[in-house]
Amino acid sequence: MNKMIISVLAKDRPGIIASITSDLYELGCNLENVNQMILQNQFAGFFITQVPKSLSCETIRQELSLKEKDHELTIHVRSLEEETPAPVAEKEIFLITTSGPNQKGLVAKLSSIISSFGANIVNLKAVFMGGSNPNENVMSYQVLITKEIDAPAMFAALKEKAKELNLDIRIQHKNIFDVTNKI
Amino acid sequence: MFDDQEIISTIEMVKNENLDVRAVTLGINLFDCISHDLTVFKKNIRKKIIGHAATLVETCDQVGEKYGIKVVNKRISISPIALVGASFSSEQMVEIAHELNDIAKIVNIDFIGGFSALVERGIAKGDQALIDAIPEALAGTQRLCASVNVATTKAGINMDAVLIMSRAIKKAAALTADADGLACAKLCVFSNIPQDMPFMAGAYLGVGQADAVINVGVSGPGVVKRAIERNLAQQRLPLGRIAEIIKRTACKVTRVGELIGREVADILKIRFGVVDLSLAPTPTVGDSVGEIFQALGLSHIGVPGSTAALAMLNDAVKKGGAFASSHVGGLSGAFIPVSEDLKIAEAAQKGFLTMEKLEAMTCVCSVGLDMVAVPGNITEQVLAGIIADEMAIGMINAKTTATRIIPVPGKKAGDNVNFGGLLGKASIMDVPHLDLEDIFVEYGGHIPAPIHSLKN
Repeated sequence: MNKMIISVLAKDRPGIIASITSDLYELGCNLENVNQMILQNQFAGFFITQVPKSLSCETIRQELSLKEKDHELTIHVRSLEEETPAPVAEKEIFLITTSGPNQKGLVAKLSSIISSFGANIVNLKAVFMGGSNPNENVMSYQVLITKEIDAPAMFAALKEKAKELNLDIRIQHKNIFDVTNKI
Repeated sequence: MFDDQEIISTIEMVKNENLDVRAVTLGINLFDCISHDLTVFKKNIRKKIIGHAATLVETCDQVGEKYGIKVVNKRISISPIALVGASFSSEQMVEIAHELNDIAKIVNIDFIGGFSALVERGIAKGDQALIDAIPEALAGTQRLCASVNVATTKAGINMDAVLIMSRAIKKAAALTADADGLACAKLCVFSNIPQDMPFMAGAYLGVGQADAVINVGVSGPGVVKRAIERNLAQQRLPLGRIAEIIKRTACKVTRVGELIGREVADILKIRFGVVDLSLAPTPTVGDSVGEIFQALGLSHIGVPGSTAALAMLNDAVKKGGAFASSHVGGLSGAFIPVSEDLKIAEAAQKGFLTMEKLEAMTCVCSVGLDMVAVPGNITEQVLAGIIADEMAIGMINAKTTATRIIPVPGKKAGDNVNFGGLLGKASIMDVPHLDLEDIFVEYGGHIPAPIHSLKN
């Protein structure tokens, strides 16, 4: 068996997951991991699956496209190498939350700073505040910080950029969100 | 991963609802500093306190920064000076007070507590020296806090001590007349004083505690108020449901306090002690226990219904906090310090909250008559009577009560006072019959401990 990751994009409707997983089952695939999200009305699904050795990435893509031809899906398939797990580094997650006026390039500007320090964004979301005020655009970046990263310098650079962009920025260790939300 | 609501609610608590950690208090045992030689004793306590606390403020700031939660006050509590300095005279006690004040400045904390005596059963030599020194010690220092425990449920009330403390308060006020009796804002008289309380002015490190310990006082009136408002904006709720909302909110607030306290303790390599679950207000808008009463539908704290509301609030805070942490201590309840709480001060100023109602409310909450400014011409007998009444409430109900009363020299009911900072400002409360000189408190002796097998 080979391991592959399949991404599926489509306008959201009932039955997408049922349909894709049935197709994979018929192709002899064994699902290992699935995740999905809905952004506005768009469905995005990710399927990591064990695929029979006789089937290539292109074959899987073509078979799925054929089976789902009436459903306007965008399908991408990529082979995954079996990787030996990296040694566990000492790491902590910080939530960087910005709020302020919506503006072009906002995410690019902040994520570039995070990237330049070698930190990894493990989750990024635009948080819906529930109001109609365009000045209450809230973005939350969950960033993995390892010991090698100069966190104080990165936080200072982010605060500086936020000031320039007229954003309120809060940088807080993830544990504070755990204790205020999880029992 | 967190969902939108979780992220927003945490950010809101910090940004708009004044969630903070009110106090991280480092308790330091001074029994190994004892010496009959004052110079040696002062050298010993200086070395020990600075040794433990040199990086306290820096560490609290660093941990606060990491979590985006401000640690508002960093403080130190020490073993009762009346015990560890029992061999010294009152003049020497004043010297110790100045030494402690200097140490507090060196380690950059705002208050050091433990200029204290425990006299519920009787006054020993060291206790007497310390009590005699209190007025001068507090008037001559800025960062020292004093407390005297005059009653417990098991010992009864030491009425000699009550009268002595009334005189000490009057003298301390007179010595700081130019600052509206400010010294009295740093002096508490207690019944059932907790040994592990992180809040000033009553914090001290009790006998039987570790060599050094970190105790944390949480806050959160603003968070509780907003939680009530948010839920009541959606629908009308019965009080049991509102109590549940308060309980859940107190749970969150407590977990924040414990998280911060434990990390500070780990970094300092000091044992973590307790979380004090108190709702401690500040004179800031949005950080007031009085505002919680308004959120609950009472026009002002002090109007009929206030005692019931406070009982519910106090109990819900305890329940939520006790669920959140297995290490709960100190006072743990709702505070109603008059000048330190914007809306309580306002209610008192407008006449909705009177001395009598305030005393009634202390039956169902933590602390007692806290930060109450009264006319300077109150007699020592009336002041002692007020203290005795408050001690009786604590003694009978097996709870902590305290008085922190400031007789403001030269001022009368309705005049304004401003103690500055977190101590706040308020109008002087009217004390009925303040010129009486009734002999009751002068009989002295002991009010015996109550019987609890026939409770009613």
